[in-house]
Amino acid sequence: MIRLENVTKTFRRGRDGEVTALDDVTVEVTKGEFVFVVGPSGSGKSTLMRLLTREQRPDTGEVWVSGKNLQKLRSWKVPLLRREIGYVYQDFKLLPTKTVRENVAFALEVIGRRRQEIAERIPEVLDLVGLTEKADALPHELSGGQQQRVSVARAFVNNPRLLLADEPTGNLDPGTSVEIMKLLDRINRTGTTVVMATHDQQIVDSMRRRVVELEDGRVVRDQTRGVYGYGG
Amino acid sequence: MARWRYVLSEALGGLRRNLLMSFAVILSVTVSLTLLGAGLLLSEQVDLATDDWTGRVEVSIFLCDDRTCPAITTEQRQRLQEDLEAQPVVAEVYYESKREAYERFTRLFADQPTLVEAIDVATLPASFRVKLENPALFGVIREQFAAYPGVEEIVDQRDVLNQFLRFTTLVRNGALAVALIQLLAAGVLIANTIRVAAFARREQTAIMKLVGASNWYVRLPFVLEGIIAGALGAAVSWGILYAAVPRVTADLAREVELLPFIGVEQVLAVAPIMLAAGVGIAALSSFAALRRFIHV
Repeated sequence: MIRLENVTKTFRRGRDGEVTALDDVTVEVTKGEFVFVVGPSGSGKSTLMRLLTREQRPDTGEVWVSGKNLQKLRSWKVPLLRREIGYVYQDFKLLPTKTVRENVAFALEVIGRRRQEIAERIPEVLDLVGLTEKADALPHELSGGQQQRVSVARAFVNNPRLLLADEPTGNLDPGTSVEIMKLLDRINRTGTTVVMATHDQQIVDSMRRRVVELEDGRVVRDQTRGVYGYGG
Repeated sequence: MARWRYVLSEALGGLRRNLLMSFAVILSVTVSLTLLGAGLLLSEQVDLATDDWTGRVEVSIFLCDDRTCPAITTEQRQRLQEDLEAQPVVAEVYYESKREAYERFTRLFADQPTLVEAIDVATLPASFRVKLENPALFGVIREQFAAYPGVEEIVDQRDVLNQFLRFTTLVRNGALAVALIQLLAAGVLIANTIRVAAFARREQTAIMKLVGASNWYVRLPFVLEGIIAGALGAAVSWGILYAAVPRVTADLAREVELLPFIGVEQVLAVAPIMLAAGVGIAALSSFAALRRFIHV
Protein backbone atom coordinates (compact mmCIF):
# COMPACT_ATOMS: atom_id res chain seq x y z
CA MET A 1 0.00 0.00 0.00
CA ILE A 2 2.73 2.42 1.06
CA ARG A 3 6.47 2.21 0.58
CA LEU A 4 9.06 4.82 1.45
CA GLU A 5 12.57 4.00 0.30
CA ASN A 6 15.50 5.97 1.69
CA VAL A 7 13.43 9.13 1.81
CA THR A 8 15.16 12.36 2.81
CA LYS A 9 13.47 15.72 3.05
CA THR A 10 15.05 18.94 4.24
CA PHE A 11 13.54 22.38 4.66
CA ARG A 12 15.23 25.71 4.51
CA ARG A 13 14.88 27.60 7.70
CA GLY A 14 15.98 31.22 7.77
CA ARG A 15 18.84 32.40 5.59
CA ASP A 16 21.20 29.50 5.65
CA GLY A 17 19.74 27.11 8.21
CA GLU A 18 18.50 23.74 7.07
CA VAL A 19 16.24 21.38 8.96
CA THR A 20 16.21 17.71 8.12
CA ALA A 21 12.60 16.60 8.53
CA LEU A 22 13.15 13.07 7.29
CA ASP A 23 16.54 11.40 7.11
CA ASP A 24 16.88 8.25 5.03
CA VAL A 25 13.52 6.84 6.07
CA THR A 26 12.45 3.43 4.79
CA VAL A 27 9.02 2.16 5.84
CA GLU A 28 6.54 -0.22 4.28
CA VAL A 29 2.86 -0.49 5.13
CA THR A 30 0.83 -3.33 3.67
CA LYS A 31 -2.80 -3.25 2.70
CA GLY A 32 -5.23 -3.30 5.61
CA GLU A 33 -2.68 -2.39 8.28
CA PHE A 34 -3.22 0.09 11.11
CA VAL A 35 -0.03 2.01 11.81
CA PHE A 36 0.77 4.66 14.39
CA VAL A 37 3.51 7.10 13.53
CA VAL A 38 4.75 8.50 16.83
CA GLY A 39 7.44 10.86 17.98
CA PRO A 40 7.81 14.34 19.49
CA SER A 41 6.82 17.48 17.61
CA GLY A 42 9.29 18.18 14.83
CA SER A 43 10.28 14.55 14.49
CA GLY A 44 8.97 14.42 10.91
CA LYS A 45 5.53 12.85 11.38
CA SER A 46 3.62 15.51 9.49
CA THR A 47 6.18 15.65 6.71
CA LEU A 48 5.84 11.92 6.26
CA MET A 49 2.06 12.25 5.96
CA ARG A 50 2.34 15.08 3.47
CA LEU A 51 4.66 13.10 1.27
CA LEU A 52 1.94 10.47 0.93
CA THR A 53 -0.57 12.91 -0.60
CA ARG A 54 2.18 14.61 -2.56
CA GLU A 55 1.61 17.92 -0.87
CA GLN A 56 5.38 17.70 -0.61
CA ARG A 57 8.03 15.83 -2.51
CA PRO A 58 11.14 14.23 -1.08
CA ASP A 59 14.64 15.46 -1.92
CA THR A 60 15.86 11.93 -2.47
CA GLY A 61 14.35 8.47 -2.22
CA GLU A 62 11.10 7.07 -3.53
CA VAL A 63 7.53 7.21 -2.27
CA TRP A 64 5.01 4.63 -3.47
CA VAL A 65 1.29 4.84 -2.63
CA SER A 66 -1.22 2.26 -3.88
CA GLY A 67 1.08 1.14 -6.64
CA LYS A 68 2.04 4.62 -7.86
CA ASN A 69 5.52 6.05 -7.76
CA LEU A 70 4.78 9.59 -6.59
CA GLN A 71 8.05 10.90 -8.05
CA LYS A 72 6.87 10.00 -11.50
CA LEU A 73 3.21 10.91 -11.00
CA ARG A 74 2.16 13.69 -13.36
CA SER A 75 0.77 16.67 -11.51
CA TRP A 76 -2.59 16.45 -13.26
CA LYS A 77 -2.93 12.94 -11.83
CA VAL A 78 -2.38 14.07 -8.24
CA PRO A 79 -6.13 14.72 -7.73
CA LEU A 80 -6.80 11.12 -8.77
CA LEU A 81 -4.29 9.90 -6.17
CA ARG A 82 -6.01 11.99 -3.50
CA ARG A 83 -9.38 10.49 -4.35
CA GLU A 84 -8.00 7.18 -3.11
CA ILE A 85 -6.89 8.73 0.17
CA GLY A 86 -9.02 10.01 3.02
CA TYR A 87 -7.40 12.67 5.19
CA VAL A 88 -8.33 13.71 8.74
CA TYR A 89 -6.75 16.77 10.32
CA GLN A 90 -6.23 17.81 13.89
CA ASP A 91 -8.31 20.97 13.33
CA PHE A 92 -11.15 19.20 11.44
CA LYS A 93 -11.11 21.66 8.50
CA LEU A 94 -14.87 21.83 8.07
CA LEU A 95 -16.57 24.58 6.10
CA PRO A 96 -18.34 26.73 8.71
CA THR A 97 -21.23 27.79 6.48
CA LYS A 98 -22.14 24.29 5.40
CA THR A 99 -24.17 21.77 7.41
CA VAL A 100 -22.81 18.37 8.39
CA ARG A 101 -24.51 16.77 5.41
CA GLU A 102 -23.23 19.47 3.04
CA ASN A 103 -19.69 19.24 4.37
CA VAL A 104 -19.60 15.52 3.70
CA ALA A 105 -21.40 15.84 0.35
CA PHE A 106 -18.93 18.54 -0.71
CA ALA A 107 -16.15 15.97 -0.94
CA LEU A 108 -18.16 14.01 -3.50
CA GLU A 109 -19.58 17.00 -5.35
CA VAL A 110 -16.20 18.48 -6.16
CA ILE A 111 -14.96 15.25 -7.70
CA GLY A 112 -18.03 15.21 -9.92
CA ARG A 113 -20.12 12.44 -8.40
CA ARG A 114 -23.77 12.22 -9.41
CA ARG A 115 -26.40 13.69 -7.09
CA GLN A 116 -28.18 10.35 -6.90
CA GLU A 117 -25.00 8.62 -5.79
CA ILE A 118 -24.28 11.33 -3.22
CA ALA A 119 -27.82 11.15 -1.86
CA GLU A 120 -27.42 7.40 -1.35
CA ARG A 121 -23.96 7.51 0.17
CA ILE A 122 -24.40 10.33 2.71
CA PRO A 123 -26.87 8.55 5.07
CA GLU A 124 -24.65 5.45 5.12
CA VAL A 125 -21.56 7.31 6.16
CA LEU A 126 -23.39 9.56 8.65
CA ASP A 127 -24.79 6.42 10.21
CA LEU A 128 -21.29 4.94 10.41
CA VAL A 129 -20.01 7.94 12.39
CA GLY A 130 -23.24 8.17 14.42
CA LEU A 131 -24.30 11.65 13.27
CA THR A 132 -27.55 10.88 11.48
CA GLU A 133 -29.42 13.10 13.93
CA LYS A 134 -27.02 16.01 13.37
CA ALA A 135 -27.11 16.00 9.59
CA ASP A 136 -28.54 19.51 9.36
CA ALA A 137 -26.44 21.07 12.11
CA LEU A 138 -23.69 23.56 11.39
CA PRO A 139 -20.17 22.77 12.61
CA HIS A 140 -20.22 25.40 15.36
CA GLU A 141 -23.29 23.75 16.86
CA LEU A 142 -21.32 20.54 17.40
CA SER A 143 -18.82 19.45 20.04
CA GLY A 144 -15.18 18.88 19.08
CA GLY A 145 -15.64 15.14 18.98
CA GLN A 146 -18.69 15.45 16.77
CA GLN A 147 -16.86 17.79 14.42
CA GLN A 148 -14.02 15.32 14.14
CA ARG A 149 -16.54 12.59 13.32
CA VAL A 150 -17.85 14.77 10.48
CA SER A 151 -14.29 15.12 9.29
CA VAL A 152 -13.83 11.33 9.41
CA ALA A 153 -17.11 10.88 7.53
CA ARG A 154 -15.87 13.25 4.85
CA ALA A 155 -12.56 11.39 4.63
CA PHE A 156 -14.29 8.04 4.34
CA VAL A 157 -17.27 8.95 2.15
CA ASN A 158 -15.46 8.12 -1.10
CA ASN A 159 -14.43 4.66 0.21
CA PRO A 160 -10.72 5.40 0.15
CA ARG A 161 -8.20 2.56 0.28
CA LEU A 162 -6.02 4.58 2.60
CA LEU A 163 -6.99 6.83 5.50
CA LEU A 164 -4.41 9.26 6.82
CA ALA A 165 -5.03 10.94 10.16
CA ASP A 166 -2.68 13.67 11.37
CA GLU A 167 -3.13 14.08 15.15
CA PRO A 168 -6.89 13.48 14.88
CA THR A 169 -7.29 13.48 18.66
CA GLY A 170 -4.97 16.41 19.26
CA ASN A 171 -7.81 18.83 20.01
CA LEU A 172 -10.02 16.39 21.88
CA ASP A 173 -10.38 15.29 25.49
CA PRO A 174 -9.45 11.66 26.35
CA GLY A 175 -13.03 10.36 26.42
CA THR A 176 -13.85 11.80 23.01
CA SER A 177 -10.51 10.58 21.65
CA VAL A 178 -11.49 7.01 22.47
CA GLU A 179 -14.65 7.41 20.39
CA ILE A 180 -12.66 8.62 17.41
CA MET A 181 -10.23 5.73 17.81
CA LYS A 182 -13.11 3.25 17.84
CA LEU A 183 -14.34 4.84 14.65
CA LEU A 184 -10.94 4.60 12.96
CA ASP A 185 -10.64 1.01 14.15
CA ARG A 186 -14.01 0.17 12.61
CA ILE A 187 -12.96 1.78 9.34
CA ASN A 188 -9.72 -0.23 9.43
CA ARG A 189 -11.74 -3.41 9.84
CA THR A 190 -13.53 -2.72 6.53
CA GLY A 191 -10.13 -3.26 4.89
CA THR A 192 -9.00 0.35 4.74
CA THR A 193 -5.35 0.94 5.55
CA VAL A 194 -5.02 3.52 8.33
CA VAL A 195 -1.92 5.58 9.10
CA MET A 196 -2.23 7.85 12.11
CA ALA A 197 0.33 10.35 13.31
CA THR A 198 0.00 11.08 17.01
CA HIS A 199 1.81 11.77 20.22
CA ASP A 200 -1.08 10.60 22.38
CA GLN A 201 0.61 7.95 24.47
CA GLN A 202 -2.54 6.53 26.07
CA ILE A 203 -4.20 5.86 22.77
CA VAL A 204 -1.19 4.14 21.26
CA ASP A 205 -0.76 1.96 24.33
CA SER A 206 -4.42 0.96 24.43
CA MET A 207 -4.68 0.03 20.75
CA ARG A 208 -1.70 -2.31 20.57
CA ARG A 209 -1.07 -1.80 16.86
CA ARG A 210 2.05 -1.35 14.82
CA VAL A 211 4.10 1.63 15.92
CA VAL A 212 6.69 3.46 13.82
CA GLU A 213 8.65 5.89 15.95
CA LEU A 214 10.47 8.85 14.47
CA GLU A 215 13.11 10.92 16.16
CA ASP A 216 14.91 13.77 14.39
CA GLY A 217 13.65 12.43 11.09
CA ARG A 218 14.93 8.88 11.56
CA VAL A 219 12.99 5.70 12.21
CA VAL A 220 14.20 4.63 15.65
CA ARG A 221 11.66 1.86 16.18
CA ASP A 222 9.23 -0.17 14.10
CA GLN A 223 7.28 -2.59 16.22
CA THR A 224 4.14 -4.64 15.61
CA ARG A 225 1.65 -4.48 18.52
CA GLY A 226 3.74 -1.74 20.10
CA VAL A 227 3.31 0.86 22.79
CA TYR A 228 4.29 4.51 22.74
CA GLY A 229 7.50 4.44 24.75
CA TYR A 230 10.07 1.69 25.09
CA GLY A 231 7.97 0.32 27.90
CA GLY A 232 10.58 1.43 30.42
CA MET B 1 -24.76 19.27 -14.81
CA ALA B 2 -24.32 19.43 -11.06
CA ARG B 3 -20.72 20.44 -11.70
CA TRP B 4 -21.66 23.45 -13.78
CA ARG B 5 -24.28 24.50 -11.29
CA TYR B 6 -21.61 24.49 -8.62
CA VAL B 7 -19.08 26.40 -10.71
CA LEU B 8 -21.62 29.04 -11.74
CA SER B 9 -23.08 29.53 -8.27
CA GLU B 10 -19.58 29.87 -6.80
CA ALA B 11 -18.64 32.44 -9.44
CA LEU B 12 -21.79 34.51 -8.95
CA GLY B 13 -21.44 34.19 -5.18
CA GLY B 14 -17.92 35.54 -5.46
CA LEU B 15 -19.07 38.56 -7.44
CA ARG B 16 -21.85 39.26 -4.95
CA ARG B 17 -19.64 38.82 -1.89
CA ASN B 18 -17.33 41.54 -3.08
CA LEU B 19 -19.76 43.87 -4.76
CA LEU B 20 -17.66 47.01 -4.62
CA MET B 21 -14.66 45.27 -6.13
CA SER B 22 -16.82 43.70 -8.84
CA PHE B 23 -18.20 47.14 -9.63
CA ALA B 24 -14.69 48.58 -9.91
CA VAL B 25 -13.68 45.77 -12.28
CA ILE B 26 -16.75 46.20 -14.48
CA LEU B 27 -16.26 49.96 -14.59
CA SER B 28 -12.60 49.67 -15.50
CA VAL B 29 -13.33 47.14 -18.24
CA THR B 30 -16.11 49.40 -19.50
CA VAL B 31 -13.82 52.41 -19.78
CA SER B 32 -11.09 50.50 -21.59
CA LEU B 33 -13.43 48.72 -23.98
CA THR B 34 -15.35 51.90 -24.80
CA LEU B 35 -12.07 53.42 -25.91
CA LEU B 36 -11.11 50.27 -27.76
CA GLY B 37 -14.48 50.20 -29.52
CA ALA B 38 -14.22 53.89 -30.38
CA GLY B 39 -10.76 53.31 -31.83
CA LEU B 40 -12.00 50.42 -33.93
CA LEU B 41 -14.96 52.43 -35.15
CA LEU B 42 -12.67 55.27 -36.17
CA SER B 43 -10.71 52.77 -38.24
CA GLU B 44 -13.97 51.73 -39.86
CA GLN B 45 -14.71 55.38 -40.53
CA VAL B 46 -11.35 55.86 -42.19
CA ASP B 47 -11.83 52.77 -44.32
CA LEU B 48 -15.26 53.89 -45.37
CA ALA B 49 -14.10 57.36 -46.30
CA THR B 50 -11.18 56.06 -48.26
CA ASP B 51 -13.39 53.45 -49.90
CA ASP B 52 -11.24 51.32 -52.16
CA TRP B 53 -11.97 53.46 -55.19
CA THR B 54 -11.23 56.88 -53.78
CA GLY B 55 -8.30 55.46 -51.92
CA ARG B 56 -6.50 54.25 -54.98
CA VAL B 57 -7.03 57.30 -57.11
CA GLU B 58 -4.55 60.03 -56.60
CA VAL B 59 -5.48 62.55 -59.26
CA SER B 60 -8.86 63.37 -60.72
CA ILE B 61 -9.04 65.22 -64.03
CA PHE B 62 -12.59 66.48 -64.34
CA LEU B 63 -13.89 66.99 -67.86
CA CYS B 64 -16.00 69.83 -69.20
CA ASP B 65 -19.68 69.16 -69.81
CA ASP B 66 -20.94 72.51 -71.12
CA ARG B 67 -21.85 73.87 -67.76
CA THR B 68 -18.66 75.69 -66.92
CA CYS B 69 -16.78 75.20 -70.18
CA PRO B 70 -17.51 73.81 -73.63
CA ALA B 71 -18.02 70.04 -73.43
CA ILE B 72 -15.02 67.94 -74.32
CA THR B 73 -15.16 66.32 -77.73
CA THR B 74 -14.47 62.65 -78.33
CA GLU B 75 -11.17 63.41 -80.12
CA GLN B 76 -10.03 65.72 -77.32
CA ARG B 77 -10.83 63.00 -74.82
CA GLN B 78 -8.99 60.32 -76.78
CA ARG B 79 -5.96 62.57 -77.17
CA LEU B 80 -5.97 63.34 -73.47
CA GLN B 81 -6.15 59.64 -72.61
CA GLU B 82 -3.32 58.77 -75.02
CA ASP B 83 -1.11 61.52 -73.64
CA LEU B 84 -1.86 60.50 -70.09
CA GLU B 85 -0.93 56.91 -70.86
CA ALA B 86 2.28 58.08 -72.53
CA GLN B 87 3.30 60.16 -69.53
CA PRO B 88 5.96 58.19 -67.58
CA VAL B 89 4.85 59.35 -64.10
CA VAL B 90 1.38 57.91 -64.70
CA ALA B 91 0.88 54.34 -63.50
CA GLU B 92 -2.79 53.81 -64.35
CA VAL B 93 -5.52 55.72 -66.09
CA TYR B 94 -9.20 55.01 -65.76
CA TYR B 95 -12.04 56.84 -67.43
CA GLU B 96 -15.11 57.34 -65.28
CA SER B 97 -18.22 58.27 -67.25
CA LYS B 98 -20.99 60.44 -65.87
CA ARG B 99 -23.10 57.34 -65.20
CA GLU B 100 -20.29 55.59 -63.35
CA ALA B 101 -19.70 58.69 -61.27
CA TYR B 102 -23.37 58.80 -60.41
CA GLU B 103 -23.41 55.12 -59.44
CA ARG B 104 -20.40 55.49 -57.24
CA PHE B 105 -21.93 58.49 -55.54
CA THR B 106 -25.22 56.70 -54.81
CA ARG B 107 -23.30 53.73 -53.44
CA LEU B 108 -21.11 55.90 -51.23
CA PHE B 109 -24.02 57.89 -49.81
CA ALA B 110 -26.58 55.12 -49.67
CA ASP B 111 -27.44 56.09 -46.11
CA GLN B 112 -28.08 59.74 -47.01
CA PRO B 113 -31.04 59.53 -49.40
CA THR B 114 -31.68 63.31 -49.46
CA LEU B 115 -28.21 63.82 -50.87
CA VAL B 116 -28.73 61.16 -53.52
CA GLU B 117 -32.11 62.59 -54.52
CA ALA B 118 -30.58 66.00 -55.03
CA ILE B 119 -28.44 64.84 -57.93
CA ASP B 120 -28.99 62.95 -61.18
CA VAL B 121 -26.80 61.38 -63.82
CA ALA B 122 -26.12 64.75 -65.42
CA THR B 123 -24.91 66.48 -62.26
CA LEU B 124 -21.54 64.83 -61.79
CA PRO B 125 -18.79 65.40 -64.34
CA ALA B 126 -16.98 62.60 -66.14
CA SER B 127 -13.33 62.33 -65.22
CA PHE B 128 -10.04 60.59 -65.75
CA ARG B 129 -8.85 58.89 -62.58
CA VAL B 130 -5.09 58.75 -62.58
CA LYS B 131 -2.80 56.75 -60.36
CA LEU B 132 0.76 58.02 -60.22
CA GLU B 133 4.02 56.13 -59.87
CA ASN B 134 4.81 58.57 -57.11
CA PRO B 135 1.96 60.63 -55.60
CA ALA B 136 4.35 63.52 -54.94
CA LEU B 137 4.64 64.11 -58.69
CA PHE B 138 1.18 65.64 -58.89
CA GLY B 139 2.67 68.93 -60.07
CA VAL B 140 3.92 67.34 -63.31
CA ILE B 141 0.40 66.30 -64.24
CA ARG B 142 -1.09 69.69 -63.45
CA GLU B 143 1.50 71.54 -65.53
CA GLN B 144 1.12 69.32 -68.55
CA PHE B 145 -2.65 68.81 -68.66
CA ALA B 146 -4.31 71.84 -67.03
CA ALA B 147 -4.33 73.72 -70.33
CA TYR B 148 -5.71 70.84 -72.41
CA PRO B 149 -8.99 71.68 -74.10
CA GLY B 150 -11.96 70.13 -72.35
CA VAL B 151 -10.21 69.84 -68.98
CA GLU B 152 -12.18 71.58 -66.29
CA GLU B 153 -10.13 70.99 -63.20
CA ILE B 154 -7.31 68.79 -61.91
CA VAL B 155 -7.58 67.79 -58.30
CA ASP B 156 -5.10 66.05 -56.06
CA GLN B 157 -7.41 63.66 -54.25
CA ARG B 158 -4.79 62.90 -51.65
CA ASP B 159 -4.76 66.46 -50.54
CA VAL B 160 -8.45 66.48 -49.80
CA LEU B 161 -8.40 63.15 -48.07
CA ASN B 162 -5.15 63.51 -46.26
CA GLN B 163 -6.27 66.31 -43.99
CA PHE B 164 -9.21 64.30 -42.84
CA LEU B 165 -7.26 61.06 -42.64
CA ARG B 166 -4.38 62.51 -40.70
CA PHE B 167 -6.71 63.86 -38.06
CA THR B 168 -8.80 60.71 -37.81
CA THR B 169 -5.76 58.46 -37.66
CA LEU B 170 -4.30 60.55 -34.89
CA VAL B 171 -7.49 60.35 -32.84
CA ARG B 172 -7.78 56.64 -33.52
CA ASN B 173 -4.22 55.90 -32.49
CA GLY B 174 -4.69 57.96 -29.34
CA ALA B 175 -7.88 56.12 -28.48
CA LEU B 176 -6.29 52.72 -29.10
CA ALA B 177 -3.20 53.58 -27.05
CA VAL B 178 -5.23 54.75 -24.08
CA ALA B 179 -7.53 51.73 -24.51
CA LEU B 180 -4.54 49.42 -24.34
CA ILE B 181 -3.19 51.03 -21.18
CA GLN B 182 -6.66 50.95 -19.65
CA LEU B 183 -7.07 47.32 -20.62
CA LEU B 184 -3.79 46.53 -18.92
CA ALA B 185 -4.96 48.36 -15.80
CA ALA B 186 -8.24 46.46 -15.93
CA GLY B 187 -6.28 43.23 -16.19
CA VAL B 188 -4.23 44.05 -13.10
CA LEU B 189 -7.38 45.01 -11.20
CA ILE B 190 -9.04 41.74 -12.20
CA ALA B 191 -5.99 39.74 -11.16
CA ASN B 192 -6.00 41.44 -7.78
CA THR B 193 -9.73 40.90 -7.30
CA ILE B 194 -9.41 37.22 -8.10
CA ARG B 195 -6.49 36.91 -5.72
CA VAL B 196 -8.59 38.44 -2.94
CA ALA B 197 -11.45 36.10 -3.79
CA ALA B 198 -9.15 33.09 -3.77
CA PHE B 199 -7.72 34.17 -0.43
CA ALA B 200 -11.19 34.59 1.05
CA ARG B 201 -12.06 31.06 0.01
CA ARG B 202 -8.70 29.46 0.74
CA GLU B 203 -10.14 26.98 3.26
CA GLN B 204 -12.61 25.75 0.75
CA THR B 205 -10.03 25.39 -2.00
CA ALA B 206 -7.67 23.65 0.42
CA ILE B 207 -10.37 21.08 1.19
CA MET B 208 -11.16 20.68 -2.48
CA LYS B 209 -7.56 19.89 -3.25
CA LEU B 210 -7.39 17.57 -0.28
CA VAL B 211 -10.32 15.45 -1.43
CA GLY B 212 -8.97 15.31 -4.98
CA ALA B 213 -10.93 17.92 -6.94
CA SER B 214 -9.22 18.45 -10.26
CA ASN B 215 -7.29 21.63 -10.86
CA TRP B 216 -9.70 23.12 -13.34
CA TYR B 217 -12.55 22.43 -10.96
CA VAL B 218 -10.83 24.37 -8.20
CA ARG B 219 -9.89 27.24 -10.49
CA LEU B 220 -12.87 27.53 -12.78
CA PRO B 221 -15.19 29.39 -10.38
CA PHE B 222 -12.56 32.09 -9.97
CA VAL B 223 -11.78 32.35 -13.66
CA LEU B 224 -15.49 32.43 -14.43
CA GLU B 225 -15.93 35.19 -11.86
CA GLY B 226 -13.41 37.28 -13.80
CA ILE B 227 -14.94 36.38 -17.14
CA ILE B 228 -18.45 37.38 -16.05
CA ALA B 229 -17.15 40.75 -14.87
CA GLY B 230 -15.24 41.18 -18.14
CA ALA B 231 -18.28 40.27 -20.24
CA LEU B 232 -20.49 42.66 -18.27
CA GLY B 233 -17.97 45.45 -18.84
CA ALA B 234 -17.92 44.63 -22.56
CA ALA B 235 -21.72 44.68 -22.70
CA VAL B 236 -21.97 48.05 -20.95
CA SER B 237 -19.30 49.68 -23.12
CA TRP B 238 -20.91 48.31 -26.25
CA GLY B 239 -24.24 49.71 -25.08
CA ILE B 240 -22.63 53.13 -24.70
CA LEU B 241 -21.24 53.01 -28.24
CA TYR B 242 -24.51 51.68 -29.62
CA ALA B 243 -26.39 54.58 -28.08
CA ALA B 244 -23.86 57.30 -28.87
CA VAL B 245 -22.11 56.58 -32.17
CA PRO B 246 -25.05 56.57 -34.60
CA ARG B 247 -26.24 59.84 -33.10
CA VAL B 248 -22.87 61.51 -33.39
CA THR B 249 -22.32 60.36 -36.96
CA ALA B 250 -25.85 61.40 -37.93
CA ASP B 251 -25.09 64.90 -36.62
CA LEU B 252 -21.76 64.94 -38.42
CA ALA B 253 -23.36 63.81 -41.65
CA ARG B 254 -25.60 66.87 -41.52
CA GLU B 255 -22.58 69.13 -41.07
CA VAL B 256 -20.14 67.47 -43.46
CA GLU B 257 -22.18 66.62 -46.48
CA LEU B 258 -19.79 65.02 -48.90
CA LEU B 259 -18.40 62.28 -46.72
CA PRO B 260 -19.95 58.94 -45.88
CA PHE B 261 -20.20 58.10 -42.15
CA ILE B 262 -20.44 54.85 -40.21
CA GLY B 263 -23.72 53.87 -38.58
CA VAL B 264 -25.33 51.13 -36.49
CA GLU B 265 -24.06 48.42 -38.81
CA GLN B 266 -20.42 49.09 -37.93
CA VAL B 267 -21.20 49.36 -34.21
CA LEU B 268 -22.79 45.91 -34.41
CA ALA B 269 -19.73 44.60 -36.20
CA VAL B 270 -17.30 45.58 -33.41
CA ALA B 271 -19.41 43.86 -30.70
CA PRO B 272 -17.72 40.44 -31.00
CA ILE B 273 -14.26 42.02 -30.91
CA MET B 274 -15.08 43.99 -27.76
CA LEU B 275 -16.59 40.93 -26.10
CA ALA B 276 -13.55 38.85 -27.00
CA ALA B 277 -11.21 41.53 -25.63
CA GLY B 278 -13.17 41.85 -22.37
CA VAL B 279 -13.50 38.13 -21.80
CA GLY B 280 -9.96 37.48 -23.00
CA ILE B 281 -8.26 39.95 -20.67
CA ALA B 282 -10.42 38.73 -17.75
CA ALA B 283 -9.66 35.06 -18.36
CA LEU B 284 -5.98 35.73 -18.86
CA SER B 285 -5.49 37.81 -15.74
CA SER B 286 -7.67 35.55 -13.56
CA PHE B 287 -5.70 32.56 -14.67
CA ALA B 288 -2.40 34.31 -14.12
CA ALA B 289 -3.55 35.35 -10.63
CA LEU B 290 -4.42 31.76 -9.73
CA ARG B 291 -1.34 30.12 -11.16
CA ARG B 292 0.71 30.92 -8.10
CA PHE B 293 -2.09 30.90 -5.62
CA ILE B 294 -3.78 27.59 -6.26
CA HIS B 295 -1.25 24.95 -7.14
CA VAL B 296 -1.43 21.28 -6.41
